[in-house]
Amino acid sequence: MLRNHKSETIVAMILIAPFIAIYGLIFIYPTVDMFLLSFQKAPLIGDGTWVGVDNYTRLASDRRFDTAFWNTAYFVALSVVPGTFVALFISLGISRLSGRIQALVLALFFLPYILPVSVVYRIWDWTLNFQFGIAMHVFDWLGFDRIPIFKITGWFMPAVAFVTIWWTAGFSILLFLAGLRAIPVEIYEASSLDNASRWQTFRKITWPLLWPVTALVLTIQLISQLKIFDQVYLFSTGGRPNDNLVMVYYIFQRAFVNNHGGRAAAIAVVLFIIVIVVSVLNFQLMRFAGKKQ
Amino acid sequence: MKNIKKITAAAALLIGVSTTLYAEENVVWWDFLGGGDGVRMKKLISDFNEANAGAIKIDATTLEWGVPFYTKVQTSVAVGEAPDVMTYHASRIPLALEQNVLDEITPADWATMGFGEADFATQIWDGVTGADGKTYGVPLDTHPIVLYYNKDVLGAAGQLNADGTPKGMGSREEFTAMLQAIADAGSVKFPLGSVTADGNFMFRTIYSLVGQQNGELMTDGEFLAGDNAKKLENALGVLQEWTNAGLQSTYTDYPATVALFTSGEAAMMINGVWEVPTMTDLHASGKLFEWGAVELPVIFDKPSTYSDSHVFAIPKGSSQDPAKRAAVLKAISGILNESLFWATAGHIPANNAVTNSAEYKAMEPNATYSSLTANMIYDPKTPLAGVAGPIFDVMSTHFVPTLNGEMDPAEAVSAIKEDLSDM
Repeated sequence: MLRNHKSETIVAMILIAPFIAIYGLIFIYPTVDMFLLSFQKAPLIGDGTWVGVDNYTRLASDRRFDTAFWNTAYFVALSVVPGTFVALFISLGISRLSGRIQALVLALFFLPYILPVSVVYRIWDWTLNFQFGIAMHVFDWLGFDRIPIFKITGWFMPAVAFVTIWWTAGFSILLFLAGLRAIPVEIYEASSLDNASRWQTFRKITWPLLWPVTALVLTIQLISQLKIFDQVYLFSTGGRPNDNLVMVYYIFQRAFVNNHGGRAAAIAVVLFIIVIVVSVLNFQLMRFAGKKQ
Repeated sequence: MKNIKKITAAAALLIGVSTTLYAEENVVWWDFLGGGDGVRMKKLISDFNEANAGAIKIDATTLEWGVPFYTKVQTSVAVGEAPDVMTYHASRIPLALEQNVLDEITPADWATMGFGEADFATQIWDGVTGADGKTYGVPLDTHPIVLYYNKDVLGAAGQLNADGTPKGMGSREEFTAMLQAIADAGSVKFPLGSVTADGNFMFRTIYSLVGQQNGELMTDGEFLAGDNAKKLENALGVLQEWTNAGLQSTYTDYPATVALFTSGEAAMMINGVWEVPTMTDLHASGKLFEWGAVELPVIFDKPSTYSDSHVFAIPKGSSQDPAKRAAVLKAISGILNESLFWATAGHIPANNAVTNSAEYKAMEPNATYSSLTANMIYDPKTPLAGVAGPIFDVMSTHFVPTLNGEMDPAEAVSAIKEDLSDM
């Protein structure tokens, strides 16, 4: 059958035009605008003056940027790999259950994930509040000294990472379970016929066959934890915000508290580049690790 | 054809007439009053709407306090969707002028409202005046911090005067001795409940103590110039001393502080006057001990209390329609004239006519602490200051460890100076 390529192209163009228009308007245009804004001395709203790369060069000596950068890195280290392993561990356990019990246990682990962050904050504040927290009464009972968890810098990031893992593990568990179910039962049967130990089965079958899912979970976690903001903001309100800064918090502070739109844009661009570089590196690393197996 | 034209014209005329006849000016109003004071403001608004039915209707929305509110104002002004009138904090006016979000309240506006400089205390009027000498807000109140105290506990510890006020209010030694006496009496967990987990909040107390030494936060555009740094260190020092002596609650956030006081676990508390309705309501329902509120103790050289004002402001670029403007001004002056009721929210009304009235003077605990209006200090006039402003985070970051005894006051002050210099 002869096809009129020209008219097909036109139809295709017309069909994708609405998408292109909306994508351009709400993604491409603001992104380009943010890049342009990062070269200006500008308030949050309104016109700025062109200052070249000033906003970028001053980041080198900006102590708050330094804090934000290292705190973000620290938080990623505390949450991405541990979070993935916690989820893997739980999903291995759940996959051994069956029927209603499995559904119930899965639902229990998934429950925190559906909570909005404000509720997560409330729950953990009630638990760990220095004066009235439930956990503090347990501490008293056990004879420990009370610890103001979210008010001491050393405790802050580990505690927020813990809460984040508690909150978001449900989704990773779901992904891992899907991955585990995709592994054919025959392989496990064969290995048990060969008298393989549980550890050998895991090491030689489950882990390699699950690797694509593990890589996916790690990548999703990495990108979302680099953009951490809500929990840090909520838990440090009124406490020691400048010691607990992370990248997105610093962008928020510059833009919305200090009214420095240009400087906030520059930090946002830096974060944007970090996310791209880290994701590409991560992806390549996963591919390499996958091939080796 | 001619007929049709005539009919259309007549119809248009009719519609025109009917709209002017029934035109009710709708005043779009935003505020951030979400607590006990919000309930009282809603009552004032509905009373106003009732009294002006058919002429003016205030269409009020209450929004989230702090950065969310002020960000929304900024964006709404930028896109021309701002309200006709909004509440604002006087301390935020310098930043608002930099952001260009406020319309001037002109001398003609003041004349229309029937108010002027003479109707307000000097510091309050000064708070709404910009660097250009023009005014940008109509003050509704002033809301300082005060010392709340549990009369039962203080009485049992022998720390009340005959008139029911606390004894040790004259000096640092006296006040510390009173705290110690309450601690020794042993009936409470903490003699003083302090919001030690929230440096933003403690800024009010600490700044008051700096003011008690005649100190300034900003002198000619320089933060903590000269011996002001030393004065901040002294202020932090006395608070840390109380922590180290076990006289005040540590790592306590705002709600926990109020809970410690109202549950009787803390004998005293320094907090804003906006908590007065909490106490009044609890006491009325029989759930609270006998309580009182007084001006802050004089810890250093002279009485001084930090305060801020709620003001009414008109956003930039709002309607220039004279009828609308008149309605907005009428709404503002209407609320100001009725602000005796606002005083039940704890705030001290800005309108002198109200505070000089016999009814106000009979109102407790307002009358006891309203003497402090003579000793109020406001935030320095810089876009960096003001509630939820840029310097808040810097202060809070170093106040919290200092107040809880983790950081040396001198170290905190030098860190604050350093951080303020790279704002």
